[in-house]
Amino acid sequence: MTIKVIALNTFKEAIRDRILYLLLFFAALSILVSRVLALLTVGDRAKVIKDVGLASISFFGALMAILIGTGLVYKEIEKRTIFTLISKPMRRHEFLLGKFFGLVLTLLVMLVLMSVIFLALVFFHTSTVEWKLLLAILYIFIELILITAVAILFSSFSTPILSSLFSLCFYLIGHFSWSLETLIKKIPAGLLRVLAQIVYTILPDLENFNFKTEVVHGLTIPPRVLLYSVAYGLLYTVFILTLAVLVFRRRDFI
Amino acid sequence: MRRTTSLILILGLSCLLFMGLKLEIDKASRQKIPGSSIIYVPSGKYLKTATFGFSSLMADIVYIWAIQYFGNLAIPDKFDHFVHIFSIISDLDPRYVDPYEVGALIALYDTKDVSLAIKLLDMGFAKNPDLWIFPLEAGHYAQLYKKDFPLAREYYKKAMDIPGAPDIVKRLYANAAFKTMDVKTAWETWLEVYETATDERVKKIASNHLYNIKATVDIQGLRSVLEKYKAKYGRYPDKLSDIVTAGLLPYIPKDYDQKDYGYNPKTGDVKTAVIPWKR
Repeated sequence: MTIKVIALNTFKEAIRDRILYLLLFFAALSILVSRVLALLTVGDRAKVIKDVGLASISFFGALMAILIGTGLVYKEIEKRTIFTLISKPMRRHEFLLGKFFGLVLTLLVMLVLMSVIFLALVFFHTSTVEWKLLLAILYIFIELILITAVAILFSSFSTPILSSLFSLCFYLIGHFSWSLETLIKKIPAGLLRVLAQIVYTILPDLENFNFKTEVVHGLTIPPRVLLYSVAYGLLYTVFILTLAVLVFRRRDFI
Repeated sequence: MRRTTSLILILGLSCLLFMGLKLEIDKASRQKIPGSSIIYVPSGKYLKTATFGFSSLMADIVYIWAIQYFGNLAIPDKFDHFVHIFSIISDLDPRYVDPYEVGALIALYDTKDVSLAIKLLDMGFAKNPDLWIFPLEAGHYAQLYKKDFPLAREYYKKAMDIPGAPDIVKRLYANAAFKTMDVKTAWETWLEVYETATDERVKKIASNHLYNIKATVDIQGLRSVLEKYKAKYGRYPDKLSDIVTAGLLPYIPKDYDQKDYGYNPKTGDVKTAVIPWKR
């Protein structure tokens, strides 16, 4: 119940944030610009619109999660409203989870808005509502849930600027960590290889939520991959949130 | 304390689970179209704008990606967009020499398309007219794989005219000129190489070529006169000096070392006394 109250409050607070609308504006602009880019290409124009549109949703969604998420907990500490909150009969993990779910709800609303613009543009170009694109958007949402958890984690012990930087690094590492596999293949068998393998499996692999290419090209995705990716995203989120709770519990506000 | 222990347990368990899941996901093969996106980029010029000043970095990334892409044996039609992909890199970073050279090698060895390799080197030269390496390599490919000496000569000439080109370019040019039977240019160039060379080995190479050019011209002339002699007397002369006696030639030429050419009266064959490269 407490989590729900905090979540709804966080949602109300987040949707009043001007940054959110600024990002939404640029996301919409970027999606619409895909139409112009499509004119410059040679070949399948709808493909460019879908690629740029999905990339915009993913990129701006991540920016929203990072820029808003990193300030959520910090602002409460900075404005000292945390003192009022922790004096209530509320556990710290409830506060953190409330913040998390509030932001996830905000992101869901933003994602729906961006998706409507995107699907409308695709419809305008192809005269069909391509529902299959929603699959890619769903996995973008799972990725955003994880990024939100990361932003909350950093926000619980660092300043918004540093938290944004850390979260952005997490995002970049998450999208490049797959390349470590190539490196591992080149490392001779031994301790170093085992260590590299461990690092590889621990590092986030955000490419597990990237089904943009498959969806745009109409490729079949093994159901096992879809299922495991959801489980992977949720488990990683649980891991990060647990870490955030552990860190937040140790903080002394007095 | 108990709560902290529970949290650490959750942390460890979730970590183990997502690690296990990651390994499972890696095992599943996902259908991919490598490079499917890049072919829709109209040209590197547009991509350059989108890199916000990081065009060189983007060129590196596209190049590294291209190496993996063309090395992937599972893509049968990967060479359909070969020039397009390399022109993107070229537009992003025109001074990036490796992609032109490596791209040309890929075209040569993987597609066996010498013209494509030369096209890529031409692209590099168009963007870098001050770099002799592109016309030199293009000339090399034209000579070695197309046996097109006039084309090779053209490229060597371009390379030769660029300041800083190594001496070997002039030698290659002289050789290509000889192969196209432009003996005058070949002679003049080899003579220039001989006179300007500081290295004894190069001097010797130039001298051998000069010997070969003179011998080729002399033997060609002698063969023609010998045929005239045969037409007149119904046989080849017993010795070369007979063609002077017959008034067909004012004198018998000597080789570059002032030695007599070898002559076989039965076949009318004229040969150098030594093999030019073993003087």
